[in-house]
Amino acid sequence: MQKALETLLIGLSTGSIYALMSLALVLVWRSTRVINFAQAGQAMFSTYIGFEIASRSQIFWLGLIFAIVAGAVLGAGVDYFFMRVLFKHANSGPAAVVAPVIATLGLLGLIRSIVGLTWGGEFRAIEAPASKDGYTFGETTIPFSPLNTLIIATVAIILIVLAILFQRTNLGLALRASAYAPEIAQLAGIRTARTRTIGWAIAGGVGGVAGMLVTSYNFLTPYSLDLLLVFGFIAAVVGGLESMVGAVVGALVLGIGLTIILNYVGTSLVFIGGFTVLLLVLLIKPDGIMARGKVRRG
Amino acid sequence: MESWQEARCDVVSSSAKKLRKKLLLFVLLGWVLLIIGDRVDELRVYQGAQIAMYTIALASIVLLTGYSGQVSLGNGAMMAVGGYAAALTLNNLQTPIWSAFMMAILVAALFGAFLGLAAARLSGPYLAGTTLALAVGLPAIANQFSFLGGEPGLLFDVGFPPERFGEEFTQYKWYFWIAAFIALVSLFITSNILQSRFGRTWRAIRGNSLAAELTGIHSSQMKILAFTVSSGLAGLAGAVLAMTISLVAPGAYTLALSFALVTGAVLAGISSLPGVVLGGFILVVIPEIADALAASLGNEDKLNSYLPGLFVSVLLILSVIYTPNGPGENLRKHFHKKSAH
Repeated sequence: MQKALETLLIGLSTGSIYALMSLALVLVWRSTRVINFAQAGQAMFSTYIGFEIASRSQIFWLGLIFAIVAGAVLGAGVDYFFMRVLFKHANSGPAAVVAPVIATLGLLGLIRSIVGLTWGGEFRAIEAPASKDGYTFGETTIPFSPLNTLIIATVAIILIVLAILFQRTNLGLALRASAYAPEIAQLAGIRTARTRTIGWAIAGGVGGVAGMLVTSYNFLTPYSLDLLLVFGFIAAVVGGLESMVGAVVGALVLGIGLTIILNYVGTSLVFIGGFTVLLLVLLIKPDGIMARGKVRRG
Repeated sequence: MESWQEARCDVVSSSAKKLRKKLLLFVLLGWVLLIIGDRVDELRVYQGAQIAMYTIALASIVLLTGYSGQVSLGNGAMMAVGGYAAALTLNNLQTPIWSAFMMAILVAALFGAFLGLAAARLSGPYLAGTTLALAVGLPAIANQFSFLGGEPGLLFDVGFPPERFGEEFTQYKWYFWIAAFIALVSLFITSNILQSRFGRTWRAIRGNSLAAELTGIHSSQMKILAFTVSSGLAGLAGAVLAMTISLVAPGAYTLALSFALVTGAVLAGISSLPGVVLGGFILVVIPEIADALAASLGNEDKLNSYLPGLFVSVLLILSVIYTPNGPGENLRKHFHKKSAH
């Protein structure tokens, strides 16, 4: 019973980080119809900025804020200077369908090389903002730590802020409208291109938080966020790729599921488990677990 | 009725003529390669083997992405499957070398067929993401099983060159001969597949899958077929790669390899089979240039590990934006217009 509860709590903590990455992917997918593989690179770059600030000032939260800002600026920059140019040029011929996917891959490689050339490949660590030792109740110590609590709380705050932004503000309405029906939104006077860039900025900032939170308990290298991208993508697919609520639910389900595998089966099967989940969802319920009715055709 | 049969006979004999011409061309190409292989030094011979390896791998991407319109970022993973299959065959069964390469094709194609079952139902981003997950995760999976040799991997030794070639005949030249022979044969077969009914069907699906289905094409079956053939080719390339480094290890089939392959394919024109030779050449030359530059800049660790990646990514981005359909796009367009009239 105690182990089950521990698994659930750790799973929530892991899943909440996946939720941020999966949200970032869904935000971009909804507005641009591109799975932004460069998201891992953007998050990595923002995390290195956050790492620099946090290690100089010794304040994790200052680093986090800088990571958010760096992520947002980079995200907006990628859309404005990169995606717009891409869509203007690569829009015909056999490669038109594959060009955006390949372009974001190229961008991932580019950001990785730039980060590697700047910071090198060494393992970096950021001092965690809270203790990594588990809570102790009387005699027993559980693996769930104050750091895990803090991670869940941070993600919860970010999600609440995003929910308010999307449901209660004009900007949120514009973002939703231009993702849902860009042409109609444009007719209604929304500057869809600018709105899209803002969406990319939000996604970049959210990705930056995900990177910082992963790095609070893990090492940072130019490759350390690749798995986060993969699990974020799986979570987004589980949630249906279109819905932001689905992305969060999918991520939490995935986080808890993988922690169950980790605690009850073994570390070696975590990745295979995640990949199996992805294949199963794609084969059985390609619209994601939140979908009703409509079937997506390839 | 009879005239129809005659006409058909004409078509058959003319296509047989074409085939013979093409065969002659490939044999000639092989002859030229042999002569070149005798004239250049060891390093170049070795790089020739690498180019041949990339050529096969890029052909698998051209078939899959350029023709059937499916983006796979997991061809590096399929190469790993082929490499391991070849090594396991050679090490455990002690069969001749060619059987190891056949096994690489078979096992990778089987894997591809299985993955294709899922892939046929997926459109672009889903497929790309799934295969990316595979490329990220497969090395980790190979680490988990002891019969795959863990991190250090398995030996894959095709042996010394036969004695009748004389003592001057080096190991690298032997690699080059095998790799070049395999590349020529697989390019010949691939080019015939692409010009056959299958190639046309794949292009039809890529162009408009709904219209293709209305003309009676089973689009999902054909997509699975494309995935299977492409994976078999990738597996073969993986075995050739294993041969050139005498080893199959998770570290040889990284995500970077998958990315490099996509880059090579885009640079050479994603739907042009002859382009793959150029693509393979570029993929071998880039690290060479990057190394030279890194050396002239002071040979720092950072430069050595990240400069090639920088070159590859910048090239990939520039070519995907400005020549997404390959450098020969305009030429081909022009040519197609002419031949259409």
